[in-house]
Amino acid sequence: MYFQDLLLTLQNHWAKLGCIVTQGYDLEVGAGTMAPSTFLHALGPEPWNVAYIQPSRRPADGRFGENPNRLFQHHQFQVLLKPAPKNVQELYLDSIKAFGIDPLEHDIRFVEDDWESPTLGASGLGWEVWCDGMEITQFTYFQKCGGYECKPVAAELTYGLERIAMYLQGVESVYDIEWVKGVKYREIFHENEVEMSKYALHESDAEQLEMLFKSYEAECKRLIVEKELPLPAYDFALKCSHAFNLLDARGAISVTDRAGYIKRVRDNAALCAEGYLKMRQKLGWPLCKTSWTVGEQLPMHEGKPASDMWKTFSFEKKEDKKEAPRG
Amino acid sequence: MAELLFELGAEELPARFVVPALDDIEKNFKEQCVALNIKHGAIRRFGTPRRVALLVSDVAEMTDDVTREVQGPSLKAAFEADGTTPKVPAIKFAESVKLPVDQLKRVTTPKGEYLVATVEEKGRRTFELLSDVLNLCTRKINFAKQMRWGDVEQTFGRPLQWIVALLGTEVIPVTFSDVKSGRVTRGHRFLSPAPITLAKPADYEGALEKANVIADIEKRRALMVERIAAAAQKAGGTVLQDDALVEQVVNLVEQPSPVVGTFEERHLDLPPEVLIQEMKSHQRYFTLTDAKGKVLPKFIAVSNTPVKDEKLSIKGYERVLRARLTDGRFFFDEDRRSPLVDRLPKLHRRSWIDRLGSMAEKTDRIRALSVWLANAAGKAASLSTIERAATLCKADLNTGMVGEFPELQGVMGREYALHDQEPKEVALAIFEHYLPRGAGDGLPTQDAGAIIGLGDRLDSLCGLFGIGKKPTGAKDDFALRRAAITFIRIVTARGYRFSLGAAIDESLKLLEGKLVDVKKKQGEAPVREQLLEFFRGRLESTWREAHRADVVEAVLATGFDDLVAAQLRLEAISAYVSRPDFAALAATFKRVANIVEKQAKDVTRAPVDPSKLTDDPEKVLHAEVAAVSSAVLALVTADDYSGAMAKVVPLKPFVDAFFDKVMVMAEDQSLRENRVRLLMEIGGLFGNVADFSKIQAES
Repeated sequence: MYFQDLLLTLQNHWAKLGCIVTQGYDLEVGAGTMAPSTFLHALGPEPWNVAYIQPSRRPADGRFGENPNRLFQHHQFQVLLKPAPKNVQELYLDSIKAFGIDPLEHDIRFVEDDWESPTLGASGLGWEVWCDGMEITQFTYFQKCGGYECKPVAAELTYGLERIAMYLQGVESVYDIEWVKGVKYREIFHENEVEMSKYALHESDAEQLEMLFKSYEAECKRLIVEKELPLPAYDFALKCSHAFNLLDARGAISVTDRAGYIKRVRDNAALCAEGYLKMRQKLGWPLCKTSWTVGEQLPMHEGKPASDMWKTFSFEKKEDKKEAPRG
Repeated sequence: MAELLFELGAEELPARFVVPALDDIEKNFKEQCVALNIKHGAIRRFGTPRRVALLVSDVAEMTDDVTREVQGPSLKAAFEADGTTPKVPAIKFAESVKLPVDQLKRVTTPKGEYLVATVEEKGRRTFELLSDVLNLCTRKINFAKQMRWGDVEQTFGRPLQWIVALLGTEVIPVTFSDVKSGRVTRGHRFLSPAPITLAKPADYEGALEKANVIADIEKRRALMVERIAAAAQKAGGTVLQDDALVEQVVNLVEQPSPVVGTFEERHLDLPPEVLIQEMKSHQRYFTLTDAKGKVLPKFIAVSNTPVKDEKLSIKGYERVLRARLTDGRFFFDEDRRSPLVDRLPKLHRRSWIDRLGSMAEKTDRIRALSVWLANAAGKAASLSTIERAATLCKADLNTGMVGEFPELQGVMGREYALHDQEPKEVALAIFEHYLPRGAGDGLPTQDAGAIIGLGDRLDSLCGLFGIGKKPTGAKDDFALRRAAITFIRIVTARGYRFSLGAAIDESLKLLEGKLVDVKKKQGEAPVREQLLEFFRGRLESTWREAHRADVVEAVLATGFDDLVAAQLRLEAISAYVSRPDFAALAATFKRVANIVEKQAKDVTRAPVDPSKLTDDPEKVLHAEVAAVSSAVLALVTADDYSGAMAKVVPLKPFVDAFFDKVMVMAEDQSLRENRVRLLMEIGGLFGNVADFSKIQAES
């Protein structure tokens, strides 16, 4: 199966189930989770079912195109289902069958893997899905986003596309993946890897980046606090986060400063989350008025339609509970 | 009597949740049954990634009839002054117990006279009661992490999918979120996807087995271990024993299906620890070794599905491992490009614990403290090794390999030091200063590693106590209890003689700059005292595992500043405990100790004045004590506490005769004081071994 067919198969699978298929976000993000389609839409009571391919940039993973497994930029296939369908595991398993992994021929397992993003104030519980010992998907039930409890809970599926493609095509290097017949990943992205790695690891201007970080941070705050424009503000939160990643990859952030930077990015994300929720509330949570769901859903929530949940939405934030000690 | 089946089915539970969840369910079930008087027989437990279940035999269908006494109002409140005309409280009480007032009894209690009713309660159907019990058991599982899902308010370890609750052939109603109990369970996710309807609890295990699920954890473990061993044998190797890995893997699979894979032989030049870690930590593969324990280029992966064609999935397992080993090799090669020494400056940028500074600062303190300890313990011969190894002991934290596998700290330090042509003893000490890392590890074999390990642990103890982060209750985030216990083990096993108090002082001195701003809680003892108390607590709990509590107390009361001596004294006394005459012996010397203790403030210490010994028994005793005392002191000085005991114990008949015939508390002050001094001398013989006043002597 060509890389392109893998993308199309996944898109079709989730489209048929009722997801909207959108494009990956057009700003630099480190993961599909950071795109507004996941981070912002996981918040609040409204349903949201989406699938998109997100090119994800991780400056510190840049290897100049020399490492067969690590990339400056890889592709994630991101699915967010909210509320999480009751049969979400089955829907997921159908998707891997669709691209040719038969659970009777491979050892498919759901192995505990909880996820936390300190820069997003987000966390979730779930699994990494193994195929013969290889992680092919990150499967997460969102518990928290921007510091807010997720109600209802969304299920997030993140497929590592390059890995799956390497597996399906039986190649040892990401650069040997055939995108379409006769065209390899190398031809499309190798130079991108070389240049981006050179920039991120050697050539970036730390002073400039620091300045950008500060400007983006300030602009994010201004837009949210003074102008009540959470969507453009979030763009600047993302730029801020990428500037931080670039600084980090350059080794320009000391251990002691690191926590401070992360907190600044998280604070911005939290402001955007709050602004977004207020904006949706003002609009009357419009998607709650639709009957848009995917998969099997609990018909009612405590005797009321699930979409009534918004009436009780609370802006209160709960403290994180530490893992309970036993014995 | 009927059988009860209670199964909670969920999306894949984390392996580490399964057994604790069963513990909770079983405990709550038993407690509720006791509280509600539900009789039941044996309980069997089942658990897989997708379910936790109890099968309870002989559950009574009715609870027994019971007769209870219910206390009502006091007579004063219940009746008018005539004592017979009931007032409202009496009438209300009678109504509540459904008896006429004249059938209520009057009883006298220490608090006064009361009305009492004898109530007969008919046994109730357990079916209804069990519904409440099982509802509670479902809600009260204390998962290490709870989660919400969908629109559900309740939390569980992973989304709950089904509940089976059967008493005999009937379904007991249990609800949780949107799930209602029934008789339908599920088999293996892929091999037997069809729902399974259970007629009765007894069918459970068999039905699941047919559906490719071995639900009994012990059976599954045994089967898995057996299958792994068979696979290993076929592959011409032996499985490297790893109980923790077995425990984890057994709850990752419902149908353990081991397969053997291989990796390229060229990777065998990686340190075996690296190979093992690469296989187990992410992949949960078992390592295979040859007869000599050498790692083979083969592994065993335990699949949850006996797949159609093993070759296909094996190819997959091998691919993943190949990528990991390639990564490992990359780190190994990359790390060896720069010597450990060059990594030291980076330790400045690595924080240890915020207020206690960087790893570089900790390293400096470890080195200084290790040098002090080596000198104090008379191991100056190892000083050059110690200084070098202490300098390098944390350098491997900045290597790629340890970044990837923190478990390999120390191991990589050793490998890289050898590669850098550091002396072998230095490399070994870098590795050994972490020993023992866990239950399976031995102690350091050489002084250098042992002493650096002591320095490292003592620095952590003093630093963390110094900033108020000592363990409380179950909370011991920095594993300080283990650090102190290990410290004691190493010191006693290697016979290091030094003053614990002085070592603590030295460590606190090295930490001085870090502890200046620390606010002290009111009424808190100085850090040094807290630490000594902490060490005392560890000694007490460790020693009590094998020694009598009073003996432990008697030895600790005499001090433990020299840990080795304390241990030897403990052993010497304990050797006498099993002797038939120990009780009598202890009684005699306890009496001596008690008198000495009581009189200590009135009688000054001075030699016994022979001219003031009037009675024969005291003269004899004095002579006997004088005859052994210098020998006893010499033996104590030479740490031969058993020898000292052997000299002192024969004094018993003379002490007894003294107590029998001589009045210690004589009228004449000078006689009395002289006799007390004689006892003080005997006490003094023991004083360096144990405080006999703490011994529980049976009379």
